[in-house]
Amino acid sequence: MIAFENVGLRYGHGPEILKDLTFTIDPGSFHFLTGPSGSGKTSLLRLLLLSLKPTRGTVSMFGEDVTRLDQDRLLQMRRHIGIVFQEFRLLDHLTTFENVALPLRVRGQSEVSYRANVEELLDWVGLGDRMEAYPSLLSGGEKQRAAIARAVIAKPDILLADEPTGNVDPGLSERLLHLFEELNRMGTTIILATHELGLLDKFGYPRMLLNDGEMIIHE
Amino acid sequence: MSEGIRLGFSRPGPIVPAQSVAGRTLMLLIGIMTFLSCVTFGGVLLVQKSAVGWSADVGREVTVQIRPVDGEVLESNIRLVISLAEAVPGVASAHALSLEESQSLLEPWLGAGLDLSDLSIPRLVIVRLSDPNAADIARLESEISAIAGVSLETHAAWRVQLNTMAGTIVVSGILVLALILVATALAIVFATRGTMSTNREIVDVLHFIGASNRFIAGEFQGRFLMIGLRGGAFGGLAAIGFFIAVGTAMGAVMADPSSAQLGFFFGQFALGFDGLLGIAGVVMVIAGLTAITSRLTVRRFLSQLS
Ligand SMILES: Nc1ncnc2c1ncn2[C@@H]1O[C@H](COP(=O)(O)OP(=O)(O)OP(=O)(O)O)[C@@H](O)[C@H]1O
Ligand SMILES: [Mg+2]
Repeated sequence: MIAFENVGLRYGHGPEILKDLTFTIDPGSFHFLTGPSGSGKTSLLRLLLLSLKPTRGTVSMFGEDVTRLDQDRLLQMRRHIGIVFQEFRLLDHLTTFENVALPLRVRGQSEVSYRANVEELLDWVGLGDRMEAYPSLLSGGEKQRAAIARAVIAKPDILLADEPTGNVDPGLSERLLHLFEELNRMGTTIILATHELGLLDKFGYPRMLLNDGEMIIHE
Repeated sequence: MSEGIRLGFSRPGPIVPAQSVAGRTLMLLIGIMTFLSCVTFGGVLLVQKSAVGWSADVGREVTVQIRPVDGEVLESNIRLVISLAEAVPGVASAHALSLEESQSLLEPWLGAGLDLSDLSIPRLVIVRLSDPNAADIARLESEISAIAGVSLETHAAWRVQLNTMAGTIVVSGILVLALILVATALAIVFATRGTMSTNREIVDVLHFIGASNRFIAGEFQGRFLMIGLRGGAFGGLAAIGFFIAVGTAMGAVMADPSSAQLGFFFGQFALGFDGLLGIAGVVMVIAGLTAITSRLTVRRFLSQLS
């Protein structure tokens, strides 16, 4: 589903952040992505989101070399990818409900068709009573849950999550992981970046450890 | 959070926030540009209409000038000219201006109260043509040329000058109109790019969650079309108001007989139905220009993003 071959990445003329990564990720798998701060977790997720192009090597997803896609195809491919940003990136002028429904809306679905689904998901992540609130009024943890709900609402084939449990208490972070497990069981491939050793130990999924631009995979 | 309350929110909020589009400024700008375009258009139309009118009026008469010549009796020459003129086909009537009328024509230049009876000023015979095209001016000219001190003035030179002037004004007006449209388009390009930059985060997030350029462009274009239509309507209405106000003011001034001359120059200072139609057309053109320009700019901006 995802294959990296000798992928290198640098920003501008800076040092190489990712060096010579070669790995594959099978459909339906669940990986943790971990490593010290600044080791390039977010950068790797951006490569997977197709918002960065590698400076060398090839990245292929869904069997296509994504380094040479035109913009339209790239945008189409994004519809199969869900993303939880480290800094959430909710749209401030839309309510929680509207933010979460946005991926469906941009796919041309009408509100009548998705309202019930969105409400159900918001209930599930514990935001049932914050639907009409604007992001600026949400707590960090509430924003995080809204961001997660937005990432999963369209049932993506691949879910990329950048520190999705960074702002919630351990109890909720476990519940959120169970949500990810649930999605994974339904077939979504998941790559979840996190620092939290507790989670890594509790859920024994394979770890991709980034360090000094190199990756070691612990199965 | 009852169902009832939720139903009240069933219209989703706009994806591009209304206040983030430099809306008011752009609307004002489009309004002003529309106003200028409409006034230019209206002005050109009035000049064109008046010129055609004047030209036709002036073309409908010729003037014969009879200078006093020693050994000739002025009054009998005048009668001779009148009878010759009336015999020419296409001439409706001919009459001499009285001494007083001639004098009053000179008044603006020489001042009132001057006794001109001692001066030997030329006398004028106004020949009205029933049909300017069929009138045999050449025959009239040759017949009266036998009389000493007589010359014919067909106003042809004046009409050519008038038409040239009107033509120049029309061409200049069209040029000004074109420049205003270009300036408007440029302003819209800048405003659109500015708006896209301020909303870059929204554009990026939309891209990341799978929105196509078509979708994003549609969200932005809708905004700009509304701004274009509102600004255009505002400018068009202001222009119509302007012409009504000027027309009314002109009417008040013309009521004063001393400025009857002005009345002649400005003719009827009314746009008429075609003028209103033209203004509506200008508004449509500007709204369309806004829509198309912003559409192209948005598309271009989006396709330049990685
Ligand atoms: N847009 C950018 N331009 C230049 N350098 C960047 C950019 N984004 C990230 N970097 C650099 O790349 C390196 C990796 O950053 P990245 O955000 O991928 O790390 P991370 O593993 O996600 O860190 P954290 O755990 O703190 O989120 C850092 O040294 C960072 O300074
Ligand atoms: Mg990061």
